[in-house]
Amino acid sequence: MAWLSRQFSTRVIVLIPIAIAINIVLGYTVQTILKLPIYLDSIGTILVGVLAGPIAGALTGILSNLIWQYAPVIGGGTIGPFAITAGVIGFLAGIWGQLAVYRSRPASGTQLILAAIAAAVIVVVVVIPILNNPAYTDPNIGGYPSWVYTAAIVIAAIVAVIVAGFIYIRRDLAGLWVAVAGVVTGIVAAFVSAPISAIAFGGVTGSGTDLLVAALRQGGSDVMSASLGQGLFSDPIDKTITSFVVFIVLGGLSGRLLARFPLGERLLGNRAV
Amino acid sequence: MTLRLSAVTYRYAGAQRDALTDVELELPAGSVLGVVGPNESGKSTLCLVASGLAPVVVGGQIRGSVTIDGRETVGMRPHELAQRCGILFQNAQAQLSGTASTVFEELAFGPRNLGLPLGTVIERVESSLETLGIAGLADRDPDRLSGGQAQLVALAAILALGPDILILDEPTSQLDPQGTRLVGEALRRLAHEKRTGILVVEHKTALLDELADRVIVIDQGRLIREGASVDVLADPALVELGVEPPPRVRVRSALAGAGFRTPGEVDALLAELAR
Amino acid sequence: MPASRWANASSGTVRSEKPADPSPGDSGRAARGLPAYVLRVPTGTYRALNPLTKFVIALSSALVAFGVRGWTGPLSVLVVTAAIALIAGVSRSLRRFVLATIPIVASILLVNAFLYPGATDVLFRVGPLAATGTGGTVALQATLRVLAFALSVAVFSLTTATDDFLADLECRGTGRRLTFVVGSAIRTIPAMGSRAVEIVEAQRARGLDTEGSIRRRLRGIVPLAGPMVFGSLAEVEERTVALEARAFSAPVRRTVMRTLPDGSGQRAMRWLVGLGSIAAVVASIAGRFPLP
Repeated sequence: MAWLSRQFSTRVIVLIPIAIAINIVLGYTVQTILKLPIYLDSIGTILVGVLAGPIAGALTGILSNLIWQYAPVIGGGTIGPFAITAGVIGFLAGIWGQLAVYRSRPASGTQLILAAIAAAVIVVVVVIPILNNPAYTDPNIGGYPSWVYTAAIVIAAIVAVIVAGFIYIRRDLAGLWVAVAGVVTGIVAAFVSAPISAIAFGGVTGSGTDLLVAALRQGGSDVMSASLGQGLFSDPIDKTITSFVVFIVLGGLSGRLLARFPLGERLLGNRAV
Repeated sequence: MTLRLSAVTYRYAGAQRDALTDVELELPAGSVLGVVGPNESGKSTLCLVASGLAPVVVGGQIRGSVTIDGRETVGMRPHELAQRCGILFQNAQAQLSGTASTVFEELAFGPRNLGLPLGTVIERVESSLETLGIAGLADRDPDRLSGGQAQLVALAAILALGPDILILDEPTSQLDPQGTRLVGEALRRLAHEKRTGILVVEHKTALLDELADRVIVIDQGRLIREGASVDVLADPALVELGVEPPPRVRVRSALAGAGFRTPGEVDALLAELAR
Repeated sequence: MPASRWANASSGTVRSEKPADPSPGDSGRAARGLPAYVLRVPTGTYRALNPLTKFVIALSSALVAFGVRGWTGPLSVLVVTAAIALIAGVSRSLRRFVLATIPIVASILLVNAFLYPGATDVLFRVGPLAATGTGGTVALQATLRVLAFALSVAVFSLTTATDDFLADLECRGTGRRLTFVVGSAIRTIPAMGSRAVEIVEAQRARGLDTEGSIRRRLRGIVPLAGPMVFGSLAEVEERTVALEARAFSAPVRRTVMRTLPDGSGQRAMRWLVGLGSIAAVVASIAGRFPLP
């Protein structure tokens, strides 16, 4: 119980509403004003999770969705049912925070190149079984048409190059862990969102990615698989971008500010304050 | 209630240098202590340490003792500190709770947190409104106040907790002359009638000239001068530190520079003008 | 305003006893002394209902709209919600909420009518795509569900002030921290929104393209997210100290100030509506819901 109340110290209680506001304002600006095909409405949630722990993170996500749905003036839209997904994202972020995923790990030369190679290898290792397994490419058993797999491989390759570049340029191994955290969070989010979307919204989201849903269904996928396919496309990208943004933000905050949060020490490691 | 700092040295968490070194001061009930000094000299840190919020809320390490009526502040919980020692910062908007729809509810925030009976809460709110003369703002939205009005509301909110010691970090920085006068009068009343001990950091030395009994000068975290306000504020060394002396002192030096014979004559002239 | 109407109240020394909290509905005792602009008693047939009642209605509507498969669920919610909107006099304001559902409704109708997996009862063709009866039914039902949900949300947010809801929750024992988080978030959002608008305008003046290519718009994120996020996070320490200086973490039950009227009739209604909707969803999942 002491662990729980530490997660909700006054400092955390002050952070959460700010994080909720960041989620909503940034999400609205990116989706409606910049009209980009990503959500970017979880920055606050992940930030709270990393700094204060899983429960605080989950609460931030859930409240962000409920407030965005029901509050006077800003209320509306269809984001409410996805409060479950937001809660899961916040919870995961808390786990990453406990595991010090976002801690800077400066490295040089050989270590960096090794890490970049490791990232590329992981991607290749994940991709090969998909390429080789014919069962996945057979539309008759609820799988996806073959172009999906080509697209997935291309996207994975691009992501691997970007991540490797990030690690190399910033000379920070944490980039690898942050990318993994982002991808895992995105995949989990997609799996949690798919049934919600299928049950509540007929398997669509109301955004441009519904074209992907349509294409998948045209290729023979059922409602849940099409929804999942759309999610697996957009969520990992969105959550990885979000994770990197959070990583950059945390890097820019003063150590004095971070140290007072429950998981702040874990984040700083032996960084000079 | 007497606030006392003895040989206080304070360092922020993870900092390389002490922010305050060997500070010694005493604030008896009903007295007003002014604090002047150049920028970044540790005045704001002094406010945090004197109120007990450093290290209790802000963290950091402290040596020496800060006591209120003999009781160490390091051992107190934040809500106990809040009732004994109120603190007001420069940025008024950041101090408002951000949850109240009206100024009335904003002032009620503190007393309600203490669990006081509703009647007492109402009494505290109305009393604070009257002390600062802002009863007309009671039904306004705190988010829509001007900087000066927000500062007065923030001060009223602190008063509503009933502290016997007030620590103010540049309270009039955003106020116009009338607002400054209002706050000055309220502080004087609090000191004389309610026997509140007041520690006030100010750049407006004119205000300190009228209000403060004693003044201390802080530079680089150290207390370098301490004494009656008339003496300290007239010290020419203040100018070198970047502290502008009050008009009284400036006029006197100007007159002396213009050739009036002795300082006594100048003082007599000024006293005559003031009457 | 008179300095003190409470000459016989306590002298102001702090006691950590629990205050005698008026229970919801006992608005007479607590109301004495509080000015009207603080009490803000809501008026109107539906608006005057206790906020928790309205919230239970909203949640139950959402539950039934999504959880009861078939036509009855969404249609009944639509009818009930429209009726409430008429009673509460907010029907005209519903337009904004209905319009906001257009993108997703369009998607639902198009994707499901033309591309419903496994459907073979073709109604008509448009080029290479065939609209099926099964798909069309699913599309229509899903649309009704979304509309029913949107209207239930609309009715709630148009008839319930957040302050009222939070005040009522506090009466019922919700801690000060949760009410602070929700209340503060709702008030921070508009302020942060204006800050965001300022930043976007400043970036536009410096050449940020909000209409151009995706790459250019993507590059616009960092100059927007950066200042906004850093600016707000920089205030965390200051606000924490300010809250503690107002005794925010005092270990006592916070004084209840505003109470919203409640009654046994409303209590009964909440239980009825809540349990009824859960029962309907369970029945629907179990396949035993009697209506289509």
